Amino acid sequence: MSNSTKLDIQNLNAWFCEKHALKNVNVKIPDKEVVAVIGPSGCGKSTFVRCINRMHELIPGAKASGKALLDGVDVYGGMDVMDVRRKIGMVFQKPNPFPNMSVADNVVAGLKLVGTHSKKELAEIAEERLKSVGLWEEIKDELKKSGASLSGGQQQRLCIARALAMNPEVILMDEPTSALDPASTAKLEELVKKLKNEISVVIITHNVSQAARISDMTAFFYLGELVEFDETRNIFEHPKNPLTERYITGRFG
Amino acid sequence: MPRRNSRFFNLQDSVFKYLLIGVSAFVVLLFITLFYMLIDRSFPSISINGLSTLTGTVWNSAAGIFGAVPAIAGTLFSAVIATLFAIPISLGVAIYFTEYAPSRIKSVLSLFIDLLAAIPSVIYGIWGLWVISPLIKIYVQQPIVGAIGFIPIFAGPAYGLSIFLASMILTIMVIPIISSLSIELLGGTPPSLREGLISLGATKWETVRHVGIPFARLGIFSAIILGLGRALGETMAVTMVIGNSYLWPFETSSLFAPATTITSKIASELYEATSTLHIASLIELALILLVITLLINTVARLIINRTIKRGYY
Repeated sequence: MSNSTKLDIQNLNAWFCEKHALKNVNVKIPDKEVVAVIGPSGCGKSTFVRCINRMHELIPGAKASGKALLDGVDVYGGMDVMDVRRKIGMVFQKPNPFPNMSVADNVVAGLKLVGTHSKKELAEIAEERLKSVGLWEEIKDELKKSGASLSGGQQQRLCIARALAMNPEVILMDEPTSALDPASTAKLEELVKKLKNEISVVIITHNVSQAARISDMTAFFYLGELVEFDETRNIFEHPKNPLTERYITGRFG
Repeated sequence: MPRRNSRFFNLQDSVFKYLLIGVSAFVVLLFITLFYMLIDRSFPSISINGLSTLTGTVWNSAAGIFGAVPAIAGTLFSAVIATLFAIPISLGVAIYFTEYAPSRIKSVLSLFIDLLAAIPSVIYGIWGLWVISPLIKIYVQQPIVGAIGFIPIFAGPAYGLSIFLASMILTIMVIPIISSLSIELLGGTPPSLREGLISLGATKWETVRHVGIPFARLGIFSAIILGLGRALGETMAVTMVIGNSYLWPFETSSLFAPATTITSKIASELYEATSTLHIASLIELALILLVITLLINTVARLIINRTIKRGYY
């Protein structure tokens, strides 16, 4: 299963002030597949993902170097930073719907900023995206309620719908299920598997078996370095690096 | 672990509790005493003049006529105008501070905001009287009077001392209050919400506009009310720059005419007043000011409570 490359990351380095958090990472993220990012806490997983949509640089003192080519165009230099974030969506560890907006407005919050859609179009997009994350049937009578009034699992799917509404080409997820109960986690995992029919998914997970369940490729990070990147099956059945093997068998991390 | 004498600590705890109840009760008692004093001392005026104080436009202590409307109008007008001018400037400062300013500029800026708040109002008064008044007269009032002086509210002659100048000085005094509170409030925007909107391709301004300000709006509203309260109650600087004339807003409606406020009226006449009725009328002015501030605070509180009840926050 080798699709064409969607994101080609070359010599990516990242720093927090003096701390070298990400060391010379090279990865090719395939199109329409799920890439799991695993590794112990503080290994640079989040930094890696946040460099892809240039959220890393928002932190005071943080900087990054290297290339991340989205369909051949470097997100560092070749594109406007706002454009990068519209094309590469993000879902965070803690669900963060906007409490001052209704459920429907939350879904189209990003599109409203762009301001090219009519009210009718926005309502249609909201419905379509709520359907694609499986939330429509659950909350179609509560569209006017605050986004913060939903349950945690619903909030997280709302945030995914919000990212999808921008029609991104890649969606980044930073431990999206770590704050959710098992039932909500299962729903979200199903959703991730469905999403790869349309776009590339990069998902950080603390849960090794989750990576095995949902991903096509897995990247293992340790101390800021990409130790191993391969098809998930290979990583779990025949890891090349002894560190990888020790991590996935739960002997450290 | 050392043995603790529980009876001693219980006693200590209850003594402490009653002490706290005591100081809290003291605050309430202070307010009641103050309010009672104002009613008691203004009673001669209330009983003799009745409602005519609240409707009268003439203040003639020799003739015993005490109408408060021009003073009330001057107070409300100058305070509201000052607050309205201060809002965009203060929010601009706060947004620049929280979103754009590098950390070195931040520390300088916050120092100056604090300094501005710490300047005694008499200094603002002197500055307004000697520096700003002539400048505003030559560079603002005279050109406007020359150009559109036929409109009554911009009519001449251009005195320096005026309700306009008082409003400007009050604006400067209100800015540090609203801006320093707004900086705290905008700085408290949850990072997760900010990042949420930024990840959708929002600019800094859009992030402030759609996340920061909505999240802080109740607090900013409270800060504005606090600023308004400051402007309503300010005495010294206003007395020095407003010109103390009772002609505004009835004999002349010009913004460039001298006027008066409740506070400047009291400050400039109380020590010279001799007749009981005159003194009582001045104290009634103070009572009116207190009631105005209480009303504004109550309405603000109602608005805030109602917004909280609607559930978004």
